[in-house]
Amino acid sequence: MSSLIDKMGAELRRGLVQIAALSLLRERLYGYQLVKILAACGLETEEGTLYPLLRRLESQGLLQSEWDTGGSRPRKYYVLSDEGRDVLPQLEGLWHEISSAVVTILDKGAPAGLLEASTE
Amino acid sequence: MNKPAQDAVRDWLDAAATAMGGGAERRRDALLELETTIYDRVDERTRGGQVPEEAVRDVLEILGDPAQVGSSFAPVRPLIAPHQTRGFILHTVMVFAVHFLLVIGATVADRGLAVGPLRIHPIADPTNFLSLLARAAGTLVFHAGAVMSVYALLPRLSRIVRFPRSALAARTDPRPSVESAIFFGLLLVALNVFRDDLFALYVDTGHGVSQLPFAGHGIVDNLLLLNLWLGVALGKELLVARLGERRWTLAADLLTQGLGVFALLRIAATERMVELAGAEEVLKGADSIGALLNSVFVVLAMVGAAMLAARGVRLAFRLYLLRS
Repeated sequence: MSSLIDKMGAELRRGLVQIAALSLLRERLYGYQLVKILAACGLETEEGTLYPLLRRLESQGLLQSEWDTGGSRPRKYYVLSDEGRDVLPQLEGLWHEISSAVVTILDKGAPAGLLEASTE
Repeated sequence: MNKPAQDAVRDWLDAAATAMGGGAERRRDALLELETTIYDRVDERTRGGQVPEEAVRDVLEILGDPAQVGSSFAPVRPLIAPHQTRGFILHTVMVFAVHFLLVIGATVADRGLAVGPLRIHPIADPTNFLSLLARAAGTLVFHAGAVMSVYALLPRLSRIVRFPRSALAARTDPRPSVESAIFFGLLLVALNVFRDDLFALYVDTGHGVSQLPFAGHGIVDNLLLLNLWLGVALGKELLVARLGERRWTLAADLLTQGLGVFALLRIAATERMVELAGAEEVLKGADSIGALLNSVFVVLAMVGAAMLAARGVRLAFRLYLLRS
């Protein structure tokens, strides 16, 4: 049972990490920095999940990246692209809609009257 | 950090790299990012007083199975691209339908049919539903496999070789196509210049191997048809470049598809289409290899014909829409 919950939790988290990462990447951050911030916020994510996700978002044009070789070791920094900055507010709006719908369902169940109507 | 710890990191990264797939640059990029992360994590632990070897062991354990991490970076490449699924189903059904109709024809005539090297046998007991079903299922699986191989192979091949736009392309937006015309012209010339090498037939005369003269082969008719097809394709491209008008473009495309279907079906129906140099007459025991190559060629010709026919139907429909 717990493995099922783990699996469902991982799936749920994977979807949420996408919007969380995009939101955090208004600032220029490197991968491991992002891993730590997400973990500190309660969205623990493995590198094996996050790094491919960042690459996918980059290939979709929402992020841009560059290697910084000036420090003690090379780091790949990510930041929102112009397209990403356009898309993010719309995604946030969508997220608020979805989350408030889910919270309503979890707290109050189906709206009164709809359950009877749908079973007729 | 000492060498064993560095070796452990290197081994982990090597194992991840083998599961990554994709291009070398993409792999290098991902590995460097993972390596940096590993050393960042190790640094945090050693600053906290942990021994480097232990820190490396812990970090690698946290990162998990390198093969799994590596495979998560692998680009997702389905065997058939989602946008080609409908085409794959359509062509499989078309090739299957042609083959199964031949099976039904052979069964009704109660004798085997020979289509190229393919031997179509009648169904042993057509009144037995299970026998019929088994034959249909076997044929369907065979053709699904053959068409899938074409669909899976072409995109991979096209990533390696940049194909010029071919006669298969349904042109909806008429643009100058001089490049395509040049391509078909060159193909036409190449086919004729190298025809003896491409379609050579060798025989062992007992006094050594000799090559039969080109003329007199059954292949000649098919080659002429291919020439004609390429010639029409060349003409079509020039016409499109000159006229640049949608209705004529579609009509010219339709003509090319029709001739292509005819050429390919004729090839598929011709007995012993291609005798590859060094085939059975020269090498004893190569009979089965020659037959296999012929079968592959015939199936590819049938698939090609089905694809052209599907394009043709689509073009005819568009032309009809334009006319109405």
